[in-house]
Amino acid sequence: MSVISQNFGIERVLRELSAAWAIARKDMRTYYLKPNIIVSGILFPLFMFLAFAIGKNAPPGTLIPGLIAITLLFSASSIEPVSIPIERRVKTFDRLLSAPISLHSLVFGESLSGFLYSLGIACLPLVIGVILFSTSIVYALTLVVAMALTAFCFATLGTLFAAYPTENVGEVMSMLNTVRLPLIFISGVFIPISAMPQIGQEIAFFSPLTYGNDMIEYAYTGTSLFSPLLDILALLIFILIFQFVANRLYKKFNT
Amino acid sequence: MFAIEVNDLTKIFGTLVAINKLNFSVNEGETFGFLGPNGAGKTTTIRILTGITQPTSGTAKIFGYDIQNEIISARQSIGIVHETSNVYDDLTAWQNMIFTAELYHVNKAEREKKSKELLEIFGLFERKDNKAHEFSKGMKRRLTLAMGLVNSPKLLFLDEPTSGLDVQSNLIIRDVVADLTQKGVTVFLTTHNIEEANVMCDRVAIINKGQIAAIDAPEQLKKTIESVQSVEVAFDKRGLEQMDELRKLPFVNEARKEGDKIKLYTEDPSAIIEEVMTYAKQKNLKIISISTLGPSLEDVFIKLTGLKARVGAAYVSD
Repeated sequence: MSVISQNFGIERVLRELSAAWAIARKDMRTYYLKPNIIVSGILFPLFMFLAFAIGKNAPPGTLIPGLIAITLLFSASSIEPVSIPIERRVKTFDRLLSAPISLHSLVFGESLSGFLYSLGIACLPLVIGVILFSTSIVYALTLVVAMALTAFCFATLGTLFAAYPTENVGEVMSMLNTVRLPLIFISGVFIPISAMPQIGQEIAFFSPLTYGNDMIEYAYTGTSLFSPLLDILALLIFILIFQFVANRLYKKFNT
Repeated sequence: MFAIEVNDLTKIFGTLVAINKLNFSVNEGETFGFLGPNGAGKTTTIRILTGITQPTSGTAKIFGYDIQNEIISARQSIGIVHETSNVYDDLTAWQNMIFTAELYHVNKAEREKKSKELLEIFGLFERKDNKAHEFSKGMKRRLTLAMGLVNSPKLLFLDEPTSGLDVQSNLIIRDVVADLTQKGVTVFLTTHNIEEANVMCDRVAIINKGQIAAIDAPEQLKKTIESVQSVEVAFDKRGLEQMDELRKLPFVNEARKEGDKIKLYTEDPSAIIEEVMTYAKQKNLKIISISTLGPSLEDVFIKLTGLKARVGAAYVSD
């Protein structure tokens, strides 16, 4: 490969990344404070968690990893299912589709905004755990990696569902919730995977939340069902699958 | 090289043929109008040419770039002003400009310079820090046009640019487009406004039901139906029966009301004038004005598309 084409390739990648970052920043400014995103991304996981935690006799501090996991799931996957149908309705999505950027950058940029939102929101239970319940973190770096991968995985899942060609936020949210809600019950967040029936344990392997939750649990307690490396690998595979499928769906439905 | 080159372009949605084997080319620096009624296929054509929609068959090139295989390169040199004023309501005018410039990879210094310059041209610079939801319809339209120009495009797509706008916004937009064409920018304009096409375009394609009925310069199109001439008359008193009575006069092919005037289509204007004078005398009417007219672009449009009755600004099919 010649130096010129190498430079052209790098320049092109930088341009695409810059455009993806612009899309993410636009979403931050425009959608982070929308009421339906606050409800779906912050209040919904909080109340869901309280509903399960109140009946348990476990010390509150031990519930923090689970709260972080479901916060990441709900907040990361809530931005695009709201923003993209709205943008379709007001036709600003046509701007993105007609810009000189690839669909990969569009999907990546949209996912990036959900990712950053989710990381910010998930810091709340983390800080509450440390300050109020003195919940100790055994492996801080592992926690950062786990949160980042889980957040990006679910942000991409939200972007994927938002590919469905509708201008109605409720339609996308309904479809997404048929996937998100069962994930909570089959991924070891409230019920340990080892305590689930055989069929439940087998289904759990197909849930990205299983690996995210497992790795967060490891970062807090030092014990986990799988090796953290396996969790990382599984989450990366889910991210690649979701990104690939999202790209195909945007191409199919939006062009 | 053509700015736009289209060959057998077809788009089918389910059983609906939105556009059917379109063939045309647009020269660099030309202002090319796509004139047609609602649902004729104008917006579908723009969506395909800008890569938002994929064609069912056929090819199109923008400055030599194939729109299906090299669309990102093609988009780099185009600006698009969509039919809807699709600005981000929760962003300020300035943020809208900068975001669009970032999407088009305009470097930082240039995007700030260009944004300032365009907001000034469109009379929005003093409101640059206001969110777009505070803007009127005309201001949003101007902002949309400014956003379409922020990457200094060589080719500008304008989808119904002045539809439903106030006079001030309309004039600003027409002035800016005239200025762009002076600078050699190619403009592809869709409109259902015949006067807009007549005034702004070097060439016009008349499209109806997904097919091009004619392509030529407005004056050349008028020449194709020179046999269609008319006499326009205004009386001091107006009555509902006048239209019917005038329609029955010898040599009158068709009569249409045009504001306070009546337009009589004929192949023999001088004979009609005599008939109208006699009619006015019999009915004790005073003629305020009378004039003979050649065919207008509207006449060409009606003849070529087969549309006839006019209801408000819309045309109705046979």
